Amino acid sequence: MKHVNGKPVAMRRRVLKLIGMGGAAATGAWPGMNLSAQTRNATLVIGLDISDAGAITPDPARMNFYTPPLTTRTVYETLITLAPGDYQTLRPLLAREWDRTPDGQGFRFKLRDNVKFVSGAPLTAEDVKFSLDRLVNVKDQPSAYADNLGRVAVVDPLTVDIFPKSVDLPLLTILTAPSCGIYEKKIALANGASAAEDAKTADKAAQWFGTTSIGTGPYKLVTWERNVQITMVRNPHYWNGTPGFERVVIRHLGDGGAQLLALKRGDIDVAFNLSPEQLASIANAPDLAIAAEPTFDYLYFAITSSPELNPVLAKKEARQAIAWALDYDGIRDALFGGVGVRPASFIPYGIGGSSKAFVEGARYALNPAKAKEMLAKAGVPDGFEFEMAYGTAAMAGASFPVIAQKMQSDLAKVGIKAVLKPMDYANLRTVYYQGKASSVVLSWNLNAVEPWLWGSAAVDRVAKRVHWNVPQEARTALSQAAAERDKPKQDQLYQNFQKTLIDQANLIVLLQPVYRVAYRKRIKDFRLTGAGWMAEIGMAKPA
Amino acid sequence: MLSYLLNRLITAAGLALFATLVVFLIASLVPGDPILAVLGDLAASKPEIVAEYRARWGLDLPLWQQYLIFLQRLFQGDLGISISTGRPVLTDIAQYAPATVELGTIAFGLSLLIGIPLGIMAAIWRDSWVDHAARFISLVGVSSPVFWLAFIALTVFYGWLQIAPGPGRLDPIDFPPASMTGFFLIDTLLAGQWDTFKTALAHLVLPSLVLCAATLGLITRMTRASMLETLGQDYVRVAHAKGMKHRAVIISHALPNALIPVITLAGLAYANLLTGTIMTETIFSWPGLGRYTFRSALSLDLPAIMGMTLIFAIVYLIINLLVDLSYAIVDPRVLKR
Repeated sequence: MKHVNGKPVAMRRRVLKLIGMGGAAATGAWPGMNLSAQTRNATLVIGLDISDAGAITPDPARMNFYTPPLTTRTVYETLITLAPGDYQTLRPLLAREWDRTPDGQGFRFKLRDNVKFVSGAPLTAEDVKFSLDRLVNVKDQPSAYADNLGRVAVVDPLTVDIFPKSVDLPLLTILTAPSCGIYEKKIALANGASAAEDAKTADKAAQWFGTTSIGTGPYKLVTWERNVQITMVRNPHYWNGTPGFERVVIRHLGDGGAQLLALKRGDIDVAFNLSPEQLASIANAPDLAIAAEPTFDYLYFAITSSPELNPVLAKKEARQAIAWALDYDGIRDALFGGVGVRPASFIPYGIGGSSKAFVEGARYALNPAKAKEMLAKAGVPDGFEFEMAYGTAAMAGASFPVIAQKMQSDLAKVGIKAVLKPMDYANLRTVYYQGKASSVVLSWNLNAVEPWLWGSAAVDRVAKRVHWNVPQEARTALSQAAAERDKPKQDQLYQNFQKTLIDQANLIVLLQPVYRVAYRKRIKDFRLTGAGWMAEIGMAKPA
Repeated sequence: MLSYLLNRLITAAGLALFATLVVFLIASLVPGDPILAVLGDLAASKPEIVAEYRARWGLDLPLWQQYLIFLQRLFQGDLGISISTGRPVLTDIAQYAPATVELGTIAFGLSLLIGIPLGIMAAIWRDSWVDHAARFISLVGVSSPVFWLAFIALTVFYGWLQIAPGPGRLDPIDFPPASMTGFFLIDTLLAGQWDTFKTALAHLVLPSLVLCAATLGLITRMTRASMLETLGQDYVRVAHAKGMKHRAVIISHALPNALIPVITLAGLAYANLLTGTIMTETIFSWPGLGRYTFRSALSLDLPAIMGMTLIFAIVYLIINLLVDLSYAIVDPRVLKR
């Protein structure tokens, strides 16, 4: 008797006939029946919601967040990288070593001599220059994060110099981002790509990059079907050992419930979008396991200080009262399955001086008495009213409407009335970016593991949205921190910078969730990463 | 007949254009900014990137000019480029439409095949067990929320009994057939991929049954009510009195007359199945037009929204036209009027 997933097939047919299901299923057309078990075993199938607004292209020079980096980083590799769990140590990837250039103005990278592209051609410094120049010159979204990426100079076929635009601002950490992935110049040029100064208009390869990949990663892209499926196949020329699977399929499953069913059935091997309740339901399943990894994404609450939007919120003490009234642990335990950490402010826990000791001493915590005291200082001892806007999406399985309701009930306990304003994504971003929202609950996604990026976002962009007129000292503290080479001193400077943000209370970080993903034990070494590309697909292997 | 058809077609085209104007005005008045929705946090704060994106989609032009450009392009057969996918709207529609049409048509066919005979039987054997069973089926079909039904169907048949395949048009490890028509059932046969055809058919079973449920209920009820009314008419009694066979009276006298309201309803139901299957498409991860429209609306993707409005308007208008024409077949007097 033939077995599929351990259940006898003849039995199923009988059940099927009994309940009179249609002929299609009865002819034996369900999953796994018509494909050899071998094909299935050699394929890694990932269930993931890939309908996010940013999921347009895997092109390193044009990609956006949230899900594309997972694919981009699997097919394109960067010069240097970060390993899961350790986001402080830069590790070699395509470059075997690097150092300062002789003039001290930039960095010199020595490339590995055994790296080949999927075409079989060897990696050269020309490819590195082309890829990074294109990133800068195409001037699409990722170029904004590569602001400090300056001149790239080929020294010899396996040596390349990269200069920052400003020596006082970071560059190396930014080179680990998936958008700094390297691809084959010759093939890119042949398909309309341009890295020239006028690449913004001259580059015609945007669509083409969605059809294939020309990198050095463990897998090669074969299809990118928006909202349906992304398929990759093993790169036969991979330099770092044989990748674990012949094929990797990222299957769009928009609903956590459907992902759970498919995971239990064995149709998918990994389920990315399970809610904390769904994860709890499979905690004891013998053939399933849960991978967890703290991330640098976080949930935050932005409060305006514009008197036109809300005269009470314009007072610092009123905002501080809100910060003291929120039940942060309760939000974590009730809505995020009890997992997650909380940074002190806009720089996430784990980097840029956000050590355990600093964070625990500096951050806000639930303290209703203190909240009352602050309300009195703000001149509103009986509380006040303000509007709280949020989107309809979810973060780590917790939906924003539920998070907002929890915050509303916390605030009500000290007499603050939050009027909930649910909004769709486009409207929410518009009112927030234009500085027209009294307060917003949002998530922040990582761009590259570089504390300066968060710091500059806080004082340059987010500050404008909350009408915070940033004092010069805060800006100076941040640029000093970015330029400081001595790690303990740098940490101290970042801590000082964060203290300003905490006192100002425009930006309250609620939680840095731990992302959890369920997978079947038939695969091993499935590692999530907090470095910005979700998972190290290249490491996964059949068990 | 020809002038009637021509007249109808011209009116239909005018109405479709008017629908796009209304949607354009509504979408333009919403405060949300599609460019901010599609740009990342940092990119959205760089005025030069925002300006570049705005210019790329002509959003920096005055409203009337934007609409004129839309019309101008439309007459060249171009619906513009989607803001959120970066591809021509027509390409997007061509990619997503076959999935919806395939699913909607099968669901529609099922509801007619089951609904009409069930309604007729319920009318003939009024208050018998057949009538009660039909009423129960209709009630469940009409009153169950589609998303609930979809999820229950998936849980029971896919999760527990394991006799139905999971969400999607194919299994994750299947490669889709080379696209000729976009309909997997047809493309797989054309390519001779018999195994993939079976998989595609199996994947259609659950979502089409779920979609069919609501329509089935409506059609059964309407057929029953209309049949009952017709059976009470004088000419039916005359036919009986003349000694015609019961079966002949029902099939050749009562049924054609009873079907007219059913055809109207069925036409609307079919249009509905082709345009409003968002929940089913979401739960079954079905890459169709419903989800595409929903996502376009969420991100205020104006070119895509306009394109879909036009397509949906055309679908409704064509189906209405077909319905009107089919009256003529069922009831020849319509033409003479």
